[in-house]
Amino acid sequence: MASAGKNNSINAKLVLLGDMGAGKSSLVLRFVKGQFLEFQESTIGAAFFSQTLALSDATVKFEIWDTAGQERYHSLAPMYYRGAAAAIIVYDITSTESFERAKKWVQELQKQGNPNMVMALAGNKADLEEKRKVATEEACTYAEENGLFFIETSAKTAINVNDIFYEIARRLPRAQPAQNPAGMVLSDRPAERLQTSSCCS
Amino acid sequence: MDASAAATPLHLDFYGFLNRLRRPGAADLVGAVKSFLVSFSLYAPDAESDSRRVQDFLLTMERTIKQHPLWANAPDEEIDSAIEGLEKYVMTKLFDRTFGSSTEDAKLDVEISEKIRLLQHFVKPDHLDVPIDLQNEASWLFAVKELQKINAFKAPREKLLCIMNCCQVINNLLLNVSMTTNSAPAGADEFLPILIYVTIKANPPQLHSNLKYVQLFRRREKLVSEMEYYLTNLFSAEMFITNINGSSLSMKESEFQKSMQAARFANEVGDPYSVPELAKVDPPIMTRHGKEIHLGGSNKYPFMERDAEDLTREDVKMLLGLYKQLVTKYTRLSEALRRHSLDEDLLIHTARDLTRRVPSKSIVKDKGAFHSFIASGRALKCF
Repeated sequence: MASAGKNNSINAKLVLLGDMGAGKSSLVLRFVKGQFLEFQESTIGAAFFSQTLALSDATVKFEIWDTAGQERYHSLAPMYYRGAAAAIIVYDITSTESFERAKKWVQELQKQGNPNMVMALAGNKADLEEKRKVATEEACTYAEENGLFFIETSAKTAINVNDIFYEIARRLPRAQPAQNPAGMVLSDRPAERLQTSSCCS
Repeated sequence: MDASAAATPLHLDFYGFLNRLRRPGAADLVGAVKSFLVSFSLYAPDAESDSRRVQDFLLTMERTIKQHPLWANAPDEEIDSAIEGLEKYVMTKLFDRTFGSSTEDAKLDVEISEKIRLLQHFVKPDHLDVPIDLQNEASWLFAVKELQKINAFKAPREKLLCIMNCCQVINNLLLNVSMTTNSAPAGADEFLPILIYVTIKANPPQLHSNLKYVQLFRRREKLVSEMEYYLTNLFSAEMFITNINGSSLSMKESEFQKSMQAARFANEVGDPYSVPELAKVDPPIMTRHGKEIHLGGSNKYPFMERDAEDLTREDVKMLLGLYKQLVTKYTRLSEALRRHSLDEDLLIHTARDLTRRVPSKSIVKDKGAFHSFIASGRALKCF
């Protein structure tokens, strides 16, 4: 869950979901390693990562939980996305199967995940245009219908990799002054939706 | 890797903390700790409410210590180490009450351990999707050993460290492979299957109780981030093993049931001397090779005629299994003899005199074998 500390610093648990081989950990590694000049502390493990991002209005510390994508481990996923503030659902643009899998994750999170979770759909391996099986429009329409932020990425060329994490960081609920009721946190949601629909154009 | 940090400066370690509590100025803290511990006698043991009480107490004590004259101007890490010391002290005192005390937990522990003993017979890395270039049984052995240490500690922090160390070994293996082979970096797709395999190999004692205990009694503010992630992974390994069936191993359900049945049979006949409570402490390797060890009367001690130079690593494992079995048997025999007020040495002499068929040489040889068993045990540790 995203939790705010002093000086508007936010701790956010982010869970990575997606088929085996879609490039979940490559995507994160590209992001975490690409940030080393910009910010101080980061953790690089094989399956757990942390990275702090400085935005104009807040500092966001991502704690990134990778999950095993094989079907046999699917039923364990709730243990990982429990309490997550954000999720990136990754698929491989050269595999329709991985896109179908991604849709299943979205449905599951909508049903069982934290209702305020910021969700992003990442079409990875965008550098492999000649092998593309999932059309950008198709994924984009799906994302729009389901209120997700969508972007195509390439862990190989680093295209859009930082953008997806910065965009999630921007969408995380900010700490509100204590006198405001907690429900007010959601007040800037309509603006986000508008932004979402612009991703396809 | 050892769970106790050897390089900690004196004022930050557990004994430094205890020493500080002995000062006259700490009398109020000592009083608070004592009355907290005594207060438990007022309630029936219940894991969840015990956990709440401990967590609240540690939070209150943190505030108290921060304002305490003995810790005046102390840096944050010194305060933190005092609370760590307090967690260890309190939980060591409350261990018997809070660790695996419910019959339900004890039952789950036995069920999981029994199940793992069966799975050890036939689950291979491929069943769990461990990629072939990451299959490295030798490295995994280190991870296995870290996990098996878990019952050597009572403090939640130290138990958690065993889990972290195990995960770190796997992590290092994955990072090394991706660096040396220039392949795509590994992630949870590889990490979790290896952790599950390592858990099956290790069959850590009281797995369920240990996980529950760490989750409930490790200071809440410390069970975050990476620690929380790796603990969650072991919880999910436990869940996977608990619910395991044919499809989770990509085999037909009938084939899975057949393998389980065969494993059950092998465990029963392969180890005729084991009694249920001993079965738990038996090293997995022994049950795996149970059949080979007990091919028949004459093959019961297949190493009697062998030379040390000819032993393979597999042999040494088997030898160690046999050795443990022999020692267990011998210890129990001695105990039984003592109970019947029989003198062991006298009995051996009498037996030798009576039968005259057992030459004294073979007894000496037997003792020699014992020593070589011990030596081979040490050798295995050095691998």
